[in-house]
Amino acid sequence: MLPHIGYNLLQVAVVIGFAPLLEGILSRLKEIVQSKCGPSVFQPYRDLAKLLCKDEIVSRESSWLFRAAPYVAFTAPIFVTLLIPVLTGYPLFFAFMGDMLGAGFILALGGFFVALAAVDTANPYGPMGASRTRMVGFLTEPVFLIVFMTISLVAGSTIPYVVQKEWVISPAAFFAPWHVLLLLAFLLLILAEDGRLPVDSVSGHFELAMIEKSKSLEYSGRGAALMKWAGAMKLFVLMVVFLNVLVTPWGLAVSTAPVEVLLAVPYVLFKMLLFLLVLVAIESSLAKLRLFRISEFTGAAFVIAVVAMVSRLFAA
Amino acid sequence: MTAMLGTSSLLSIEALTGGVFLLTALGTVAARQLLACFRLFVLQSFLLSVSAALLGVALHSPHLLAVAAITLATKTMLIPWLLRRTVHDEVYRIREIDQVLNIPSSLLLALALTGAAYVFTDSLGAVGVPAYSFVNLPIGIATLLLGAFTLTVRREAVAQLLALLVAENGVFFAGITIVPDLPAIAELAAAVDIPVYTLVIGLLTRRIHSEIGTTMVGRLVALKEE
Amino acid sequence: MVLAAVLLVPVVASLLTLAMGTQHRRGLLTVLAMASVLALSLAAARSTLAKDQISTAGGWLACDGLGALILVLVAFVSFTAALFSAGYLAQRHPHEESGWHSAYYPLFNLFVASMLAVPLMANVALLWVALELTTLLSAFLVGFEATPEALEAAWKYALLTTLGAIIALLGVLILYWGTRVAGKEVFTWNELITDAPAMPPALIWPAFLLILIGFGTKVGLVPMHTWLPDAHSQAPAPICALLSGVETSTALYVILRLYAVLSRVPGSEAEPWFLVFGVLSVGVATILLVQVRDYKRMFAFSTVEHMGIILLAVGLGSADARFAAAYQITAHALAKSFCFFASGIVVLVLGEQRIAAVHGLARRAPIAAVPLIAGALAITGMPPSAIFASELLILKAGLARGEYLVTGFLALFIVVGFAAIMRHATRMSFGAGPLGRWPGVVPGTCLAALAITAAPLVILGLSMPTALVGLLQLAGTAMGR
Repeated sequence: MLPHIGYNLLQVAVVIGFAPLLEGILSRLKEIVQSKCGPSVFQPYRDLAKLLCKDEIVSRESSWLFRAAPYVAFTAPIFVTLLIPVLTGYPLFFAFMGDMLGAGFILALGGFFVALAAVDTANPYGPMGASRTRMVGFLTEPVFLIVFMTISLVAGSTIPYVVQKEWVISPAAFFAPWHVLLLLAFLLLILAEDGRLPVDSVSGHFELAMIEKSKSLEYSGRGAALMKWAGAMKLFVLMVVFLNVLVTPWGLAVSTAPVEVLLAVPYVLFKMLLFLLVLVAIESSLAKLRLFRISEFTGAAFVIAVVAMVSRLFAA
Repeated sequence: MTAMLGTSSLLSIEALTGGVFLLTALGTVAARQLLACFRLFVLQSFLLSVSAALLGVALHSPHLLAVAAITLATKTMLIPWLLRRTVHDEVYRIREIDQVLNIPSSLLLALALTGAAYVFTDSLGAVGVPAYSFVNLPIGIATLLLGAFTLTVRREAVAQLLALLVAENGVFFAGITIVPDLPAIAELAAAVDIPVYTLVIGLLTRRIHSEIGTTMVGRLVALKEE
Repeated sequence: MVLAAVLLVPVVASLLTLAMGTQHRRGLLTVLAMASVLALSLAAARSTLAKDQISTAGGWLACDGLGALILVLVAFVSFTAALFSAGYLAQRHPHEESGWHSAYYPLFNLFVASMLAVPLMANVALLWVALELTTLLSAFLVGFEATPEALEAAWKYALLTTLGAIIALLGVLILYWGTRVAGKEVFTWNELITDAPAMPPALIWPAFLLILIGFGTKVGLVPMHTWLPDAHSQAPAPICALLSGVETSTALYVILRLYAVLSRVPGSEAEPWFLVFGVLSVGVATILLVQVRDYKRMFAFSTVEHMGIILLAVGLGSADARFAAAYQITAHALAKSFCFFASGIVVLVLGEQRIAAVHGLARRAPIAAVPLIAGALAITGMPPSAIFASELLILKAGLARGEYLVTGFLALFIVVGFAAIMRHATRMSFGAGPLGRWPGVVPGTCLAALAITAAPLVILGLSMPTALVGLLQLAGTAMGR
């Protein structure tokens, strides 16, 4: 019992601690692809430290929502971390508190507060970004539901630990056609949900074209740090679900031995590094879609997810 | 190879190929650019040949290995070469495909067609279909339907030809599991037939291009009922 | 032996024509080759009549009543079409001997070879290959005139019929799966017919539907007919005669064969499919006949109508109806090739295919108007045309089976079709023309082709030789249970 709670906390620590690192690696990799000599992979840590030291300026017009939103956004991924297999292949203390849908709701709650805060500032770009994010959200959420339902058809559950076990135990299910389709649908969803290319350009500086970033334009100091950190953690958590549950469900600790759990950390980070390479390839080769073509993008994800479900339903 | 991997894992990998094959078929429906469509077709043909090879090893069928070799030779090498020779500019210069229906609607229809393929295959359940057929058969039929559908909505000659070849890939993908021992003579004949029709249609495209100045066959509407 | 020779002659002729220098020589050689093909296929039909079924080349080539009928018809129309081509090409494309035009006769020969192969292939998979080759080899012939319209027609033709063939291929593969489930190795029509009761119906039905839709596209059944009026109106007249007269029948041949297989499946209900597709094709084609504005297109729609009639006749399900269907196939091949030869002559005279552009043809060029009117009468079933006799037999068989609704529709559509075609033909032929007498001369070979086609068309309408009755009966048996 006690080690389980301990490992749960360790997972949270890993997510909080390594999320900025992954972001640093991602931008470094992109710079390598673009033949730039960018800052080191630890730059996000320095940014966070710098922002945390700075004073925070809050608009007089804004309400408590604006101040609360960074904290909600920061804690949401932490709660999700308690529910998903970051390091261990066996369920930990909080594992049965919520399933993948629950994790989705918690992330959505964070997003909801951020959107409200963006509207709260009365900055013209904030509400624009918020409404666009909501639009993308409306388009992705049904697909998320279909993906989770298809997964639950296979595993009989949407608890991520159970699903992860199912893929490990049954290679036939792992190699089934619908699994490939689900993976692609989920990958497209991650791109849309995290505001990656081709849906949104993370590195763009043009406010009118922004979707994700314009919501945090008004933040400074600690608020900006928390928002930035929250964004990194959200990507980390999504990647954990994608990699540890769906794509490569192997390499997690199977016993409670601390050594094994600690060894899982570099292993998981290595898997993420590989995934980042894929992400960089995607982001470097695709152009941003026009806003109204995003529905085509999520439509493609929807079709793929439904095809996956159909093929699963008929594969009796 | 069988001893090394075991029949069941070969068949699992074959199922994985099936999933990617279906993805390429959906991709050709969604692709806006001709070159992307062309590359998806080549990838799909490669997957077809991989699938045939895996099944051939797993089921000890030399015929399927022959199908794999023929597919690899004709569809991933000969046909791209033929297309490059006959309609090089159409493949490499025209960027966007002109389509009667917009992409989201065609994707939704593609979804319905794929569902129909699965329902159809489900009705064959009584025959005693082996599990690997249940992977390939619906995917192949779905690809046939998607190819036929794409052919009808596209307005560009080479895009239509590619759709035809995709439909044909689908038939073979379904076929390799249901007739693992079709007489070799038929395979060879089909292997001759397919490049021939690529050539014929490719040359026809070129002829249309040189006579009319465009390959937008959708604009050829002189012949119709009033 | 004779079966292999039938296939070999046109292939060799194709190679020889490729080597020849002038269009005249190529034409002459093709006519000779087609004449020998006709003689050989008559010999094949004769021995089929004696033995019910002949096979050669280790069982890969076989010929029964239905096969022999199609074989003879293909050979006959090919012969007359070759004869017609010689004069037609010389008049229409007098100085074009090289390049695109030099490919005409080699392709013509190969196209005929592929059509002859269809009824002879015992193996169903190879039959598919042969049928697909008929499309590929004729695509360039359809686009021969190289006008935008002709190329559009060739494009639609090649693309849609190939798509049909691909759909049919899946059907063929599923059929083969059925024979495997029934525990057999050999994939021939004979085996299929014997094994049909042992095959799972869950496989035969999808196979049948896929083949019906796939090859139905090539037959020109409604609603897969959209390419047919284009291709059959834009090709040069002799090619139209081949396409409309016999190529559609070779595709229909597969569907008819399949009927024989299906009728042996216990509890099978294939007839409704044939009736529905038949009535639909006849009805839609008749309606389109009324509004048509191009006289070659008019005959093309009439082909859709006749294919529907044949399908419907088979769907009636009695031995008499199948005999009548075989008769209708024969009559259609003769009458339709006659019509297209006649319209070829009109094209030579006017260089124009629009009905509205033609007035007073009877005064301007009686030599063109007489065949046109005769062809229109023959194809719409005016006695003594053989079409009259065959359609009468079909209607009789329909009434005898108690299919009053279908027969009533058929009779109605035949009458409407008659009115439509005759209206167009008389409008073109009679009345005052804007110009004086046509100064040109119609080539002798064209007239010879017309005469050779007209003779059996009329003779068969008046009385049938015993040999032909035997062949038709054999063909009817091959289709039925």
